[in-house]
Amino acid sequence: MSKKLKQIAIYGKGGIGKSTTTSNISAALAEAGYKVMQFGADPKADSTNTLRGGEYIPSVLDLLAERRRVDAYEAIFQGFGGIYCVEAGGPQPGVGCAGRGIITAVELLKQQRVFEELDLDYVIYDVLGDVVCGGFAVPVREGIAEHVFTVSSSDFMAVYAANNLFKGIEKFSTAGGALLGGIIANSINTDFQREIIDDFAAHTKTPIVQYVPRSLTVTQAELSGRTTIEAAPKSEQAEVYRALARRIADHTESKVPTPLGPLELREWSAKWADRLVEQERAAA
Amino acid sequence: MTINLKTSTVETREQRLGTIIGWDGKASALAEESAYARGECGGCGASGRGGAKARRVCELTGPFTQGSVCSEQMVECQAGNIRDALLIQHSPIGCGAGQVIYNSIYRNGLAMRGHPVQNIRFISTNLRERDMVYGGADKLDAAIRAAFERHAPKAIFIATSCASGIIGDDVESVARHAEADLGIPVIPLHCEGFASKHWSTGFDATQHGILRQIVRKNPTKKQEDLVNVINLWGSDVFTPMLKELDLRVNYVIDMATVEELAQMSEAAATVTFCYTLGTYLAQGLEQEYGVPQIRAPQPYGFAGTDAWLREVARVTGREDKVEAFIEREHARVRPKVEELKKKLAGLKGYIATGSAYSHSLIGVLREIGVQVDGSLVFHHDPVYDSEDRKQDTLDHLIENYGEVEHFTVGNRQQFQFYNLLQRVNPDFIIIRHNGLSPLAARLGIPAIPLGDELHAFGYQGMINLGEAILAVLQHRKFHQDIAGRVKLPYKKSWLAEKDPFALARVAAE
Repeated sequence: MSKKLKQIAIYGKGGIGKSTTTSNISAALAEAGYKVMQFGADPKADSTNTLRGGEYIPSVLDLLAERRRVDAYEAIFQGFGGIYCVEAGGPQPGVGCAGRGIITAVELLKQQRVFEELDLDYVIYDVLGDVVCGGFAVPVREGIAEHVFTVSSSDFMAVYAANNLFKGIEKFSTAGGALLGGIIANSINTDFQREIIDDFAAHTKTPIVQYVPRSLTVTQAELSGRTTIEAAPKSEQAEVYRALARRIADHTESKVPTPLGPLELREWSAKWADRLVEQERAAA
Repeated sequence: MTINLKTSTVETREQRLGTIIGWDGKASALAEESAYARGECGGCGASGRGGAKARRVCELTGPFTQGSVCSEQMVECQAGNIRDALLIQHSPIGCGAGQVIYNSIYRNGLAMRGHPVQNIRFISTNLRERDMVYGGADKLDAAIRAAFERHAPKAIFIATSCASGIIGDDVESVARHAEADLGIPVIPLHCEGFASKHWSTGFDATQHGILRQIVRKNPTKKQEDLVNVINLWGSDVFTPMLKELDLRVNYVIDMATVEELAQMSEAAATVTFCYTLGTYLAQGLEQEYGVPQIRAPQPYGFAGTDAWLREVARVTGREDKVEAFIEREHARVRPKVEELKKKLAGLKGYIATGSAYSHSLIGVLREIGVQVDGSLVFHHDPVYDSEDRKQDTLDHLIENYGEVEHFTVGNRQQFQFYNLLQRVNPDFIIIRHNGLSPLAARLGIPAIPLGDELHAFGYQGMINLGEAILAVLQHRKFHQDIAGRVKLPYKKSWLAEKDPFALARVAAE
């Protein structure tokens, strides 16, 4: 009997720790015995670096630029725990169309039946930031991922990006697109940060899947070109990622989020800005 | 490797078959490089796993390579020619520029087959600057609903475009929603022009959509005397021929109805006049519904038609009828062919058509005693989707009719066509696509335009083609007059150039 492939997309603003989180989820799932593919959908093509000792791999679009026919397997490299690493790749900033790149790369893998042939349990898409154009919405659209998670800190810009993603999910939800699994709250070390992200989650009727504190262990692991799961398997942080991976593995019911409107979002952030000022004044 | 009907986008011919659009040499060398039977060739490296079917033939690429239409136009002339369906072009209005010519072809085709003459039904979503920025999905939805209200079609096809492909418009979900609401198939056909260098990918895109969304999935009955004929708009030569074997014809895709397309899964076999056109659909019907495709040479000339008829008879269980028919036809046609040979002796012909079709036409010309030293085909598929050697049309040509000295794969570049014709100096050319005869005329060479693709088909086709040659040679003086009075627009250096691919070779160095 063939098993059911679970496809998950993880979105978040650039630099928020999305690839770090995704790679640690992949590593934890692989450690738990699952067959995992991580698909980096960011033109920087560095999503899977920490799964491969800090090494860059040629992207699907690099190969397509060189030749007319591409064997999808030439773009698949195994990393930590046998994880299949793929990078869509894309153009240099300011040229071409990175969104089209994602469409092309995903289509190539689907046409060549890679997911079926590798008999995977999980495909995890690590997708850049805001849903800026049609191409970046591809993993959310029908027939690709079933569940979307967003990595967000309590930083307002990260929250904006998450809210934008919710808008995209809401739009495609009536057309059989992926639904929202929840927020992975990253770099949450203080109660105040936690309150902000909790409040955003409550306003958008979204669950928080896991709070991930900022940790030096993660930075050290990254500098050595590894995930925390690989570099510091016994650390507290590794346990946090394992718990996150378990929740994602067990997750079955995703929902349509209720994103804030432009005015609501402005009012919401102004309210928190005022509280932040008040708090700082009190502390002074 | 089987074809993959799970994804909505068809794999391009380059990726699937290893298709090329630039090559020049002896026909036997191309057949050897294509390595049909071996599944691998030394040419340009191993095929690799992702191109399990694709063969790698060394391609000549120059500064001017692609010189003709794109995949979207093939969708127009197939999906757009279904009698009770409708085609939406989800594109800027410019992609609809071909509608006028396709309408004339469609109307002529309907008249030739005895159907009521009507206009093609195309609707363009007219994507504009604003739609590029904000997305065109709402416009597409509105177009689908307007199309349904105005024309009550039995199916709606959507041709995508470069524009909709780049912005990543979610055509799939719009189509799926409309299909659920309207209760008819709404079929996205992904045919972005930039995705493939050769238009034949557009044939496959249409056939992919029909296989996925129109062909009856669970046929309850089998029509054991029905044969699917994958065809264009030419005259009805299959019906009388297959009637001899007590078989009925189901003409697809052009000018069929949606129901005729749906019943393809109930047929006893699938045939086509040209493997370039029909390979994908025939393979899909065999793979998904067990409808056998005819694995034989194409039905042209004596050898090809004999073998094809015998295979049709074998597959449909009509062996008892076929030999008598073949014998009768040989007896009828051979004396006429012998007569034609006398009249055509010493003439040289040149063929510039689609790929598999040209392989067969060269054979027909040689059957009637015409010398053929060269041919231009617009692309080359090193293998067809069946991967069956019995369908290797190029090999059939070489085995039965010998070498073709100057065999060229090129995409209708006018400047090259000049050198190609100079190299072999033919008395006439045979074409099927517009834009090729004016250049030949300026060199004093008349053209036979085979608007009806079935003119040279089967036994009778040899006689038809011979008579067409005799007719066109009546214009020779007229063409010589043209040649004496016009100049070609090329530089003297190019006019003196012997190698049609000189520019490509410079670029390759």
